[in-house]
Amino acid sequence: MKLYEFEGKRIFKEHGIPVPKGNVLTSAKDNVEVDAPAVIKAQVLTGGRGKAGGIKIWDGENNAADLLNDIFSQELKGEPVRAVLVEEKADILQEYYLSITFKGSTATPLIVASAAGGVEIENVAAETPEKIITMEFNAITGPTDYQIRYMANKIGYENFKEFKMLINNLYTAFKSSDATLVEINPLVSTPNGLVALDAKVVLDDNARFRHEDMHLKFIKEQKSLEGIENYVEPKEDTITYVPLSGDVGLISDGAGTGMLSLDLIKDAGGEAANFCELGGITNAQTMYDSLDRVANNKNVKSILIVLIGGFNRMDDMANGIVRYKEEKGLNIPVAIRMCGTKEEEGKEIMKQANIPTFNNLLEAVNYAVTNAGGE
Amino acid sequence: MRGVNKMSILINKDTNVLVLGITGKSGALQTKVMKEYGTNIVAGVTPGKGGSFVEGIPVYDFVKEAMENHRIDVAISFVPPAFAKDSCFEVIDNGIKFFVLTSEGIPDHDVIDILGYAKLKGTRMLGPGTAGIIAPGKCKLGAHPGSMYLEGRVGVVSKSGALSYEVGKTLTEAGVGQSTVLAIGGGPIWGMTQRDAVELFNEDEETEIIVLLGEIGGSLEDEAAEYIAANVTKPVVAMIVGRAAPQGKSLGHAGAIIEGTKGTAKSKIETLTKAGVHIAKNPEEIVSIIKSIRGVN
Repeated sequence: MKLYEFEGKRIFKEHGIPVPKGNVLTSAKDNVEVDAPAVIKAQVLTGGRGKAGGIKIWDGENNAADLLNDIFSQELKGEPVRAVLVEEKADILQEYYLSITFKGSTATPLIVASAAGGVEIENVAAETPEKIITMEFNAITGPTDYQIRYMANKIGYENFKEFKMLINNLYTAFKSSDATLVEINPLVSTPNGLVALDAKVVLDDNARFRHEDMHLKFIKEQKSLEGIENYVEPKEDTITYVPLSGDVGLISDGAGTGMLSLDLIKDAGGEAANFCELGGITNAQTMYDSLDRVANNKNVKSILIVLIGGFNRMDDMANGIVRYKEEKGLNIPVAIRMCGTKEEEGKEIMKQANIPTFNNLLEAVNYAVTNAGGE
Repeated sequence: MRGVNKMSILINKDTNVLVLGITGKSGALQTKVMKEYGTNIVAGVTPGKGGSFVEGIPVYDFVKEAMENHRIDVAISFVPPAFAKDSCFEVIDNGIKFFVLTSEGIPDHDVIDILGYAKLKGTRMLGPGTAGIIAPGKCKLGAHPGSMYLEGRVGVVSKSGALSYEVGKTLTEAGVGQSTVLAIGGGPIWGMTQRDAVELFNEDEETEIIVLLGEIGGSLEDEAAEYIAANVTKPVVAMIVGRAAPQGKSLGHAGAIIEGTKGTAKSKIETLTKAGVHIAKNPEEIVSIIKSIRGVN
């Protein structure tokens, strides 16, 4: 779960990371609780806010209400501005970039720092990667003093004690909230020390069981900003559904075979209407729910179901498909490739219900593409 | 030890296996299927269930007790995500050198702690979230459907589990056998990577040709390509799925997402091609490339 800046800063503050004084507004009529000069910042979950005009300076000469009205009327990359953070303007001496995340291939936590912080960090990474200092460390030791000293030295920040405290606090925030990313961009030095001007925090949904209250609070807060009060979470499933622009509906019981099927549909001259993968929970109900989503897309002219069971059982899959056909009808061509665990049982169920199955993946793809009207 | 020249990578006919979480629904079912395939499962562990049996296999409360009563070479875990970390520490502390972690949905911080500790203690980890590994005709650890594999000399490493079944099935139907087939898991954090598996296959006498199955997102395939270019002498055939995937949308695996020009199928295919790898567009092309490398039709 991505957090808004003001939510991330709440976590920062709890862990002793200095942030500017400020308050959150949910309407242009709310009171601004800081004096000019101040920075007015749109609260959105998409990146690139600064470049898109989502940050304004209130210098005391201009009218705060006009600036607020302007920001609240914006949409940033399609996301309407529903909250604004107004903060005292910091006296910036130098901007830095600082983040902690994981590196997947080495399975280590990683600190990334740069003396070239700010909105252009992506360009810095692309054009002058030597200005970005990365430091992998072991989760068991945490970031060690010499590593922090190395980073402070490389980004040219002289107050090592202060930098160390900041890194340690940020790491504690990262670890104790089970975040997968904590990012400060920019981190700035001021006459009064380091201050986090921005906060990007991503929480690990898999760790929710350890932080149920915190997750629920953030979910409700975010939904409430969207105007949804008393939000009830949908019942949990593991389906990944991504709408696409074609006419061949696609369901797979694996992400890799789903992507392969997308490719094969395209190679056969067709185009998929969606990507739909069952995920970790594979039972008859998941199959039923997936079919419901895919078949309800009006663009879908045929459906391709690619199943290859390991943990997944084909009798469960067949039961889900047959029940869907009985209850909702399935009046478009469906190509089902079914094999693996409990294959014989699954095929028998399909046979009883008069639904044909394929053994060969390419044949199933061709059938689905041809019947969708592709070449 | 029997079959010295019959070593596949990591597991073989003589491998003795410990199952963690053996009394759970998934653990018990998979234990049955693995045992039927011929895997030597010698013991199981579930805290509080010591003294019972699953499929005739003795269950212990602690890994240490299982080790005192059996020779154990590798472990496989079906422990639910919330309890995974502690049980992994227990396996690693007992000096087991190869450990397959099938559990999906373990918090990232726990995964990092597990894999970091395993590295310090010298335990090789496959997973988390892996379908497992199979040495056809010898041993299987995890979900690979036994009927889709045939003993032979092609080594297959995949990110995705289902894709490793798909390719195994296609190879087997074409009469092309495999030395070992393994899936590393959907990520975003991995123990063994495709690069590590390629290294083992390159050194393995049983493996003649290596098949690398990858997907969009991340940089694992690029890291494998770098290793192949510098070190690998055996022919490598690769298939990267997600050529037709849209930008900016995550497709089922945490890392399967294209952002900008990084991690696209195109860029990975280019990197692999430069490393001298043969590129296949679908499983049947993998078969035809292997046949042409072998000089048969």
